[in-house]
Amino acid sequence: MDTVKKLRQEMETRPGGMFFPNLYRCQGYKTSSGTANVEKRSDGVAAVFLLSEPHIYKNDLILGSMKDCFVEVSEEELAAANETMALFPERSFITNYDHFAPDYSTPITLGISGMIKKIERSMDIHRDSASSVALLKGMKRTLEALLGRLKKYAEKARSLIGRGDYDDEKLAFAAENCEALLLGAPKTFAQGLQLVWMIHNCFVCEGRYAMALGRIDQYLYPLYRQDVDAGNLTDSFCEELLANAFLKICECRFRGGDDVVNICIGGVDGDGNNAVNGLSYCVLHAVRDVNLPGPNLSARITKDCPDEFLDECLKVIGTGLGYPALMNDEVNVAALLRKGYDLKDVRNYCMVGCIENFIPGMQPPWSDGRFDPINYLESLLRDTRAEALDAIGSMNDFMELYEERLAKGAADYMECVKKASFVKDPENSMSPFLSCFCDFCIERGLDVNMGGTKYPSAHGAALMGIGTVSDSLAAIQRVVFDDKCVKLSELAEALKHNFQGYEDLRSVLLAVPKYGNNDDYADKYAVWYTSTLSDMFDGYRTNDGGPVYTIMASNISNIPAGAALGATPDGRLAGKPLSDAASPTYGCDTRGVTSTLLSTSKPDYTRCACGTVVNQKFSPSVFKDGKREKLAALIRVYFSRGGQEIQINSTSRKVLEDARIHPENYQSLVVRVSGFSALYVTLSDEVQEDILSRTQHEDV
Amino acid sequence: MSTLNVSNIQRFSTGDGPGIRTTVFLKGCNLRCPWCHNPENISSAPEELFFAKAGKKEVYGKLMSPADLAEDLLEDADFYIRSGGGVTVSGGEPMLQYLGVYELAKLLAARSVPVIIDTAGCVPWSSFEKVLEVVNDYYFDVKAGTPGKYSELIGGDLALIESNLRKLVMAGANVTARIPFIPGVNDSDEELKRIGEIIGSAGVKHADLLPFHRLGVAKYEAMGLDYKYKDTLPPSRETLLRAAEIIGRYTETGIE
Repeated sequence: MDTVKKLRQEMETRPGGMFFPNLYRCQGYKTSSGTANVEKRSDGVAAVFLLSEPHIYKNDLILGSMKDCFVEVSEEELAAANETMALFPERSFITNYDHFAPDYSTPITLGISGMIKKIERSMDIHRDSASSVALLKGMKRTLEALLGRLKKYAEKARSLIGRGDYDDEKLAFAAENCEALLLGAPKTFAQGLQLVWMIHNCFVCEGRYAMALGRIDQYLYPLYRQDVDAGNLTDSFCEELLANAFLKICECRFRGGDDVVNICIGGVDGDGNNAVNGLSYCVLHAVRDVNLPGPNLSARITKDCPDEFLDECLKVIGTGLGYPALMNDEVNVAALLRKGYDLKDVRNYCMVGCIENFIPGMQPPWSDGRFDPINYLESLLRDTRAEALDAIGSMNDFMELYEERLAKGAADYMECVKKASFVKDPENSMSPFLSCFCDFCIERGLDVNMGGTKYPSAHGAALMGIGTVSDSLAAIQRVVFDDKCVKLSELAEALKHNFQGYEDLRSVLLAVPKYGNNDDYADKYAVWYTSTLSDMFDGYRTNDGGPVYTIMASNISNIPAGAALGATPDGRLAGKPLSDAASPTYGCDTRGVTSTLLSTSKPDYTRCACGTVVNQKFSPSVFKDGKREKLAALIRVYFSRGGQEIQINSTSRKVLEDARIHPENYQSLVVRVSGFSALYVTLSDEVQEDILSRTQHEDV
Repeated sequence: MSTLNVSNIQRFSTGDGPGIRTTVFLKGCNLRCPWCHNPENISSAPEELFFAKAGKKEVYGKLMSPADLAEDLLEDADFYIRSGGGVTVSGGEPMLQYLGVYELAKLLAARSVPVIIDTAGCVPWSSFEKVLEVVNDYYFDVKAGTPGKYSELIGGDLALIESNLRKLVMAGANVTARIPFIPGVNDSDEELKRIGEIIGSAGVKHADLLPFHRLGVAKYEAMGLDYKYKDTLPPSRETLLRAAEIIGRYTETGIE
């Protein structure tokens, strides 16, 4: 583990210049002898791999750094490069550029040379199609450049041996691994990881974000098993190798932000059997040791996965890292099956980005957009005349009007998405390198975005504010239709005034049952929300005929979305954040975590094929030995009732300190001491300090 | 049908027994421990506490029928059963409401949800006799070792407490002694020795030493009361280990 620490220190030095692979890419475009756009493009990509200078850290075991593409560029060079680049426009997130999980099984099994042979065979089959031949030639070109990059790294490592300031053994180890990959398929775990990492790093150097490593504990497992059985690999060395690669995900910070590279462990194999293995634990530990945002770990938890696995996940979460996110495998599998994928492929799903379910190497890169159902509720109340509002006779009638608005909104949204994701001249924006790692681009001789993939592109409609909407509908039902204490028009008026002069009404609204307390009065609206909106989006297709998924995973965009919105019927003031992801509104789920989870397992998440996020915060005591099993039981019950995901923002000083700064987000954080009940936020600074210092000691 | 005076219902309580538990705090107590960390549960009357710092108002004290309370608690039945947990009834002194507790525990037992009673034990034996029909698990406080400390400082009758403790153990109940470790009250060698003798001679199999903490201070402030222990610091780990060692000399009981 020493190497990991030292590598982390080494990575604290920011490279000079700027991340600008286009400098090389443009040279490739200029010198290209190709005629078709895709050939030129391939030469551009190849130039990035071949012209950049390999960077090797002193503590590297697995090679491939994005520092290679940090260059000093003059104003003139920049301008010239941008001019050339304008002739070769790249796709963007909405036009399916990145957020992709490549097929890493094929390169592991065939090696790059085997893949090149496969491409050559396909060129022969498609010899009558000029466009296919051009693409396949380009794909081959990029794979050769990948080999070239491996070769350059090997040579660089060799050249550093004997210099004295590097560790010669490490250099020789890394060089040998790269050299072996020039000859064929990887023969050891380390070679397999080196290959995967180099491919991933090439995507990064192409300029792509959020490229998932996917189910690394599955596709690297045969090599791991073989090496462990032969006595050539220990778990601790395996973890060190993995951490060495994962740590370099954090190089993205040199560009000024974190990458989100999803890594998925656990789940089931193609036959539906538990797939947790020794490598799953190594990956878990490696991510723990890296202990930085960037590697975004997800664990697929099945009904019959070992308790030991869940416990190990909780231990890692308890370090304060917050990873892995725990996914209910049964729900995700059912949700993806509803979208028509083959069972075997569904069982191999992983995630891209934060939590987006994805069939690796079988569909074009992911895209999504934000859909804010609360906006349509707000506008319904805002722009309907008072008489019309008061003519609404029942909650059902009100819901009908709201649904009409939502349906119209969904139609507008999809029109917008289809327009934005439409690419006029796809033949001029192909992705030859990416296409190498997606079924069946090689076989069909087609680009990843032009029909090469087994499945069409999927788009996600990210639904915002399930808590705010449910609470608002419950509040309207209570005050307007059940208790009839105000007219709908008066409520609308109060919202327009941000409750100024309507303080009493606001307290009544705040006292109505809220989502997250296992009370159907509010919870039924969350159930309605999930199924109604999923129904609506089920009716749409992406440009290439793929499905539209619903998501509830708003990251932190519930804050800007709320900032732009007026007051809402749940008593929320204008500008305040919306509820987050699939969670109840912060501070409104006051009955305790079991009630929260009973509520948040009510909606049918098999309708949300993309995934949902329920955030929960726990104080540190729950992660101690002897207590974690309670947390595990909590999760097991939650999943058995149909919860889709739980993200535990754990523990330790970090949470408690944040609770001091933002008490509004921690209204229900309970201090758990025998025979005692208290909410953390009610404690004095001094006593909070007691808890903080206790926590700190325990962490050491 | 009796009613229960419920102060608070705390779900996913992890410090009050095995598994996932809900702790029900009942209002009203017949002791006056000066270090009490749940002062809102001493009086039987409903109380409203205002926590100025958090700007939060909390109301304590709500009368509930055992049936309504059981229904509320049974919402979490799946969690209890999966984790080997259940319901812990604490307070205040829950045994003052033993009839309601009995009815509640009976309703919970019918759904296979076990109950632990967290008591200071200063009630007539007949109350325990009744509850023993449906509850087998007890957390039993031993707060001091000498009758003087009990009567003067706490307002309790050590002879009655000791006798109840013995009888519970003899009746076959699963009893865990809980010793709140309070600086200046029971941290002398003499007190600790006597506590060890009491739990040892009663035949208690297991005891927990609960270190003093001052987390209750916010509640005193919210009630407009002065907390005598607000400046008392929690004991160090060494002090606790030493206390456990002294108690251990006089008993076979396992101490944690």
